[in-house]
Amino acid sequence: MDRTSVKIVVAGGFGTGKTTLVSSVSEIAPLTTEELLTEASLGVDDTTHVEDKTHTTVALDFGRITISPDVVLYLFGTPGQDRFWFMWDELAQGAVGAIVLVDTRRLDTSFAAVDYFERRGIPFVTAVNQFNGQCAYTEEEIRGALELDPQVPLVWCDARDRESSKLALIALVRHAMNRLRVPA
Amino acid sequence: MPDRWDGDDESEAGRFVPLYILVNGRTSPRDSKLDLATQVIALQVDANRLEPEYVQILNQCGNWISIAEIGAYLRIPLTIVKVMVDVLLEQGYLGIGSPAQQKVIDMSVLDALLAGLERL
Repeated sequence: MDRTSVKIVVAGGFGTGKTTLVSSVSEIAPLTTEELLTEASLGVDDTTHVEDKTHTTVALDFGRITISPDVVLYLFGTPGQDRFWFMWDELAQGAVGAIVLVDTRRLDTSFAAVDYFERRGIPFVTAVNQFNGQCAYTEEEIRGALELDPQVPLVWCDARDRESSKLALIALVRHAMNRLRVPA
Repeated sequence: MPDRWDGDDESEAGRFVPLYILVNGRTSPRDSKLDLATQVIALQVDANRLEPEYVQILNQCGNWISIAEIGAYLRIPLTIVKVMVDVLLEQGYLGIGSPAQQKVIDMSVLDALLAGLERL
């Protein structure tokens, strides 16, 4: 049966506007699904009260855009906390790529996401979310602070604005296409 | 007693059968290609013999729907949805689309995606 799912990951630090971006372009109100965490995936933290614990879950917000009768795009926001890295692997596997949202007041919170996609060779664009008005930094300053590879596109966006979020998605798809033509 | 079941943690969802029984103790789907974005659709098959929890999933699948959406609407954790969907696939109650999880995204899909986004 010909029904293809396409995934794009929306990453970035806590409060950078991931769910906002998903909401502004999704055709459905963003949904939340949960994944169970095993002790193994949680690592070694907090084993003292493990017997009281029934289970721990991590929530994932996502949206959907019907591209054509056969192709549906799913946008998955990454869970905010760093200890849920293992979920990123499932989200990133087979994804077209990622949008890494950046809040210029807290550049450091998006550093881990940049690093994650860079290391795995997954195409990504950085989208500087300007929901607080004019950005105090130049593109060069932001690139420098995030140690971005010159080939990684940087776009300015307002995650609340549908058109602006759409342009960030388009920038990512074009970047992924270029990468496919000229493998890195 | 590490495996003791106190029956409490699912009561809010009104679930009377523990999930591990519903999935026959399976912990992972047979088909590891099942991704949270993989879409499925209900096939026209008599579902009378199925447990209500499985029927609930089939009822969500009148049109193509992803595993993540089923989990969100029915409030079932993804790991469990995957195993239950896998059981339904195996028994011929569901049809499956192309999984998102493939190593190489082909150019034709990206072309369609780009055109679709530009039309939005």
